[in-house]
Amino acid sequence: MTDITIGDVERAVRCTTATILRNQQYFSDLDGVAGDGDFGASLASGFRVVDQEFDTFDRSSIGSLLLKISMIITRNVGGCSGPIWGTGFMRAAMLTKEKTSISLAELEQMLTAAIEGIQQRGGAQLGDKTLLDALIPIRDRLKEQVANGTDRATALKEAQAIAENAIEATKDTQARRGRQQFVGERSIGSADPGIVAIATILGDLCDEFGVSRSAVPA
Amino acid sequence: MKKFVNDPNNFVAEMLEGVYLANKDKLKYVPEFNLIYRADRPVNDKVSVVQGSGSGHEPAHIMAVGRGMLDGASPGAVFAAPPVDYCYECIKTLQSDAGVLVLVNNYQGDRMNWDMAVEMATAEGITVKQFIIDDDVAVQDSSYTIGRRGVAGNFFVIKAAAAAAERGASLDELLAICDKVNSQVRTMGVALTSCIPPVKGSQLFDIGDDEIEVGVGIHGEPGRRRDKIRPADAILDEMFDAVSQDLPFKSGDRVALMVNGLGGTPISELYVLYRRAAQRCEQLGLAVVRNYVGEYCTSLEMAGASLTLLRLDSQLEDLLAAPAEIPIRVF
Repeated sequence: MTDITIGDVERAVRCTTATILRNQQYFSDLDGVAGDGDFGASLASGFRVVDQEFDTFDRSSIGSLLLKISMIITRNVGGCSGPIWGTGFMRAAMLTKEKTSISLAELEQMLTAAIEGIQQRGGAQLGDKTLLDALIPIRDRLKEQVANGTDRATALKEAQAIAENAIEATKDTQARRGRQQFVGERSIGSADPGIVAIATILGDLCDEFGVSRSAVPA
Repeated sequence: MKKFVNDPNNFVAEMLEGVYLANKDKLKYVPEFNLIYRADRPVNDKVSVVQGSGSGHEPAHIMAVGRGMLDGASPGAVFAAPPVDYCYECIKTLQSDAGVLVLVNNYQGDRMNWDMAVEMATAEGITVKQFIIDDDVAVQDSSYTIGRRGVAGNFFVIKAAAAAAERGASLDELLAICDKVNSQVRTMGVALTSCIPPVKGSQLFDIGDDEIEVGVGIHGEPGRRRDKIRPADAILDEMFDAVSQDLPFKSGDRVALMVNGLGGTPISELYVLYRRAAQRCEQLGLAVVRNYVGEYCTSLEMAGASLTLLRLDSQLEDLLAAPAEIPIRVF
């Protein structure tokens, strides 16, 4: 089975929420290395509301669920992370308004829409050392996989590996946007918390959906 | 803190309720989204003009809802951008076939939330465009902005656009008017004291008894520099130079002149400033066609004032002279 149902999306949201709440301190510590140290707490303050109010959400379609999450994150996550993450969820929601299941091809379109929204909102490009350095390669790979035919377990496993690699690949670059942009050269040598968050979420999603994680680079 | 507040967390909601109760025949109020809008809007052949910024700047913008001014406003908490769902509901409630014009002061929080709301509304098939106001000459980038801040000059954008909307101008025509006003309007403010946001309960920033902040923002953001208090004319002169040389305004220009109180300065002092501003306009050869002295865009009880100059043409003169009626009344 390759389609992703609304039930899968609910599980994924629940799992992502748990990951963000559990890693609040870890993400903040990463941010403290070269950012202002509140990324984890800030992200968690939004997803805590998602956690508390999840049962009240309109879950009649994938889009209605994602739009609600978008609004809550935008509203409750401080600074620019709220609108950035919120825009990602919103753009994905717009494509799935009436849908209760999506194909991998549709997932790729949602990811593309989310990436474009994040770029538009925050002005970051590939290579600026932001979460896009994970999301864009994941989307590119997913596009290839969709063209060649794949299943969702493989897609998730590869996405997780790409995100893990992105942490290392960007560590020694200088941030031009995102959490570390204000420290300039001091960002060199430390991982971007946004990229780490994406990799951590995908790792936990592998566990949630019974997919073996890729080996984490040493 | 000595203020007329109950629970500080209810300050904005109770203020909005008060505005509504005083104007029940003319306004509608949706407490869930801090939304106040004209009871006779939306109508399908007129563009709805809306704005939402942080609270604490009253009468901007919640008390600027009325005939010939805003059709609706949905402010956030004190000095905080309205959350995206407020913005979205504001647009949705005021949607019309002619469209919705969203006026946004240039602050990152306001912009991002309205950007998202506009996107969501557009995806729903609602015609909506936004315009960003940035009239403050004090600083290029600031605590909450990339680029210049939007301050008291937003009054003129609202007034001109809303007057044109009342006459049936299209959304694109209104955007052109907004652009004309915003490109011709310049403002700078000076603070004598700080202010006390109700929830914070203490002074927003420290400023000595003998100090002023030149170029202050309407959320107490730093301006150009901290200075010692000087005679009113000297302070006005610095504001006038900064504002008039920015465009620059030049001899023969017809202008609207605004001396705006920041909340804690008596109107008598504003007229002391106006006196000097009028003298300076005359010296420079500016014809003051319309003047505005009072509180238009404040920062709670901050003592201080801002000076705004707007270069006029016949279209803007006509639009500024159009009738308007808003909840804060003198008569």
